[in-house]
Amino acid sequence: MSFADYAALTIHEVKNRLAALAARADSRGDRDTVREALAAAHALTALLACYKAENGWLGVDIGAHVPAEMVAELVGELAGSAEPGGGVEVVAAADAPDSVFFYDDALVRLVLGTAIHNARRSAAQRVVVGASADERWLKFTVSDDGPGYPAELLDAPVLEPGSVSDHGTGLGLTLARQVAALHDHGGRHGGVVLENRNGAHFTLRLPR
Amino acid sequence: MTRITTYKDKKLLIIDDMPEMRSALRSQASSIGFEQISVCGNVRDALDTLRGGRFDVILCDYNLGPGTDGQQLLEHLRARRLISRGTLYIMVTAEKNYDSVITAAECLPDDYLLKPFTAETFRQRLERLLERKRRLARVDALQDAERWAEVVSACDEIIAARDRYLVDAMRIKGNALFMDGRYAEAEAFYREAIAMRPMPWARLGLARAQRQLGNNAARATLETLIAESPQLMAAYDLLGHVHADEGNTEAALRVLDSAAARSPRSLNRLRAIASVAEEAGDYARVQDSLDKVVRQTRHTPLRDPGDYARLGKALTVTDQADKALELVDDARSTFREDGGGPALAAIEALAHQRMGAPDKAAAALQRALDGDLGKLSPEALLTVANACLASGDSARGEELLKRAVQTNPEAKAVQLQVTRIMSEHGIADHAEKLVSDSVQEVVQLNNDAVRLGKEGRIGEAAAMLTAAADRLPGNLQIVANAAYALLVDMLASGSDATRLENARRFREHLRKESPGHRKLADIDALWARLQPEEGGG
Repeated sequence: MSFADYAALTIHEVKNRLAALAARADSRGDRDTVREALAAAHALTALLACYKAENGWLGVDIGAHVPAEMVAELVGELAGSAEPGGGVEVVAAADAPDSVFFYDDALVRLVLGTAIHNARRSAAQRVVVGASADERWLKFTVSDDGPGYPAELLDAPVLEPGSVSDHGTGLGLTLARQVAALHDHGGRHGGVVLENRNGAHFTLRLPR
Repeated sequence: MTRITTYKDKKLLIIDDMPEMRSALRSQASSIGFEQISVCGNVRDALDTLRGGRFDVILCDYNLGPGTDGQQLLEHLRARRLISRGTLYIMVTAEKNYDSVITAAECLPDDYLLKPFTAETFRQRLERLLERKRRLARVDALQDAERWAEVVSACDEIIAARDRYLVDAMRIKGNALFMDGRYAEAEAFYREAIAMRPMPWARLGLARAQRQLGNNAARATLETLIAESPQLMAAYDLLGHVHADEGNTEAALRVLDSAAARSPRSLNRLRAIASVAEEAGDYARVQDSLDKVVRQTRHTPLRDPGDYARLGKALTVTDQADKALELVDDARSTFREDGGGPALAAIEALAHQRMGAPDKAAAALQRALDGDLGKLSPEALLTVANACLASGDSARGEELLKRAVQTNPEAKAVQLQVTRIMSEHGIADHAEKLVSDSVQEVVQLNNDAVRLGKEGRIGEAAAMLTAAADRLPGNLQIVANAAYALLVDMLASGSDATRLENARRFREHLRKESPGHRKLADIDALWARLQPEEGGG
C-alpha cells in the first residue's frame, strides 16, 4: 500500500465519521455543526476527485438533470441558522431553470458546494446561488457580498498552488476548471469565470 | 411544483453496517415524519426483514462490511424478485461510486445520496423520487411483469411528452428493446440517444446491442466509452466479453485485469474473469479470481455454491485435488442449511476421481445423487452432472444437464457451460442437440398446456404441469403455471385433497422463491376464491 492508497482510505473513513457527526447534529437541530461537517466533507470529496483527475480516472457521467432542483438542495442543506442575526444566509436566486439540462450532477454539485462554502467565509451577510440559461450556455453562479476576489486571483489564468486565502486552498478552483473542461458539447467547452461585482461572483459555465 | 407527501404511512427500511449511522439516519427520517422505520445492520437481517413485508423506501448504505455492498444486495433482491420496482431504493455513498453504476439498467438504484446529507436534503430528494415513481408507475409495473413490448410503448408516450422524465424513459426503453430481443431497433435507438448527448448508458447500450448483432463495431464503441468514462467498470466487463466472443481470450483477460486493478473487490468482475479464464483453459487464473470471491462472500448470504463448484473444478483440473477436498470441508461449514450439499459432494467425487480413488469417488457421487437435487441451482446441477460424466455414468449426467438447461431455458450462459462440459468429456458432438431438445421440450410443454386450456381440457393441462413442476422445481414459470392451472381446474370442477395439496405446495414454493413473482397475485386471488375462509392468506 502506498501513501496515496492510505490517504484515499482515510479520506473515506473520515467522511463516514463526518456523515455520522452531521446526521447526529442535524437530528438535534445543531445547524452550525451540520454546516461545518458538510464543508469538511466537501473539501475531502474535492481532494479525492483531484486525486482521480491526476490519475486520469475522473470521467464525466452526463445525465439529464434539473438545475432548479440542484440549487434548491444545495441551499436547503445550509438553511437555518443557530445564531439569529449572526450567521451568513445562503439563498437561492429566483428563476433557476426548472427543465432538463445535460451535465454531470455529482461533479457540478461538488464544484458548487465548494464554491458556496468558500463564499460563506468571505460573505458579510448573504450568499446567493443561482442558475440561468441562454441558447448556448447553462450557467451556475455563486455570489457573495464580501470584499471580492483578490486581484492576483482574477488575473491568474491558472491558480498558483499553495496560495491559501479566504477563498480556499485553490483546490476548489482547480477542480472547478477540470470539471468545466470535462463538459463539452457542440465544439464548446465549459469554463469558470471569476468576477467582482458587489462581492465575489463565481460562474460555472457549461455548454447546453 | 411538488406536492408535500406525508411519510406517516410509508414504510422505510434503513440498512447500514455502522450502528451510529443507523441511529442517526433513523432520527433524521423520523424528523421528516416517518413513523414506520425498520433498521438492519447486515444483509442477512435485511433479507429476513424484506421477506416479512413490503417497504416503500429502502435507504441502503453502499458499504455493508466485508464481502457485501448495497449494489450486490440490490442485484440479489432484483434477481430473486424480493422487491418490486414500486419500492424506492436509494443508495447512500461516501462518494459518487462509479463502480456501482454497473451493467444492466434493471439493477440501478433509484438514486444515490451522497454522505453527509441533512434531513432536509433527504426530504427534498424523496419528494422528487416519489414524483418520478408516480410518473413511471405504469412503466415500472410493466417492467416487473417483463412485458417489454408494452414497456417500449409506455416509454414512447413519456418520450413524446418531452418532460423531465424524458431521459429516464429513454434509458428504460433502450433496455426494454434489448430485453425483447429487438437488437437492431435498440442499436438505432441508442444511436439517436448518443446524437442527442453522448451519455455513457447510451454508449454501453449501443455496444450491448452491437454485440448481440454480431457486429464487431461493439469493440470500437466500448473503446470510445472507456476513453470518455474511464470510471465506468461495466464498459471493461463488456469489452472483456467482446474479446472473448472473438476468441481473443488474452485481450479479454488484459481488459478485465485492468478493470480489476481499479476495483479489486467487485464480485461481478472477478466472476467474469473466472469465466473467461475457464473458457481459455487458464485454470490458475480461475483459481486466483474465485479464491478472492470465496473469501469475500464466505460469511454472507451472497455466497454462491457455484463459485465453490467452479473453484473446486479448477483445483482438480490443476492437480490440486487435495486443496479441492479442503475447499469442500470449508464449504460444508459455510452452506450448512441451504442445499450446497450435492454440489459439494460432486466436487469431492471429482477430486477423488482425480486422485485415483474411484471407490471414494463413487461413494461421494452417490451422496450427491441422494441429495435433494430439486433445490439445486443450474450451476450446482452442472457440477453434479460433471461428476456423473467423470465417473462414466453418462445417462445420468446428461439427464442432469438437460434439467439444468430446462430450469431456465433462456439462460445462454448455462447452455454454453453444458456444451463446454460435454466437450470436456468427449461428447461435444451431441451437445447442441441436447441443448436445443431441452429448450424445445419446455416450450412445447407450455404450448401444450395453453392449447389444452383453450380446448377446455384444463384438468389435463394441470396434470401435465404438475408433473413438470415436480421435475423442474427451479423453473418458476412452470411452477406458477401449475399452481394456476390446478386452481382454475378445481374452481371449475371441484377440488380434491391431492390437487389442493399440490396447489398449496406450488404456491408456497413460488412465494418463498420469488415473493414479487408476476403470477402470484392471480394465484392468490384464485386461492382466495377456492378457500374463502382463509382470505387472501
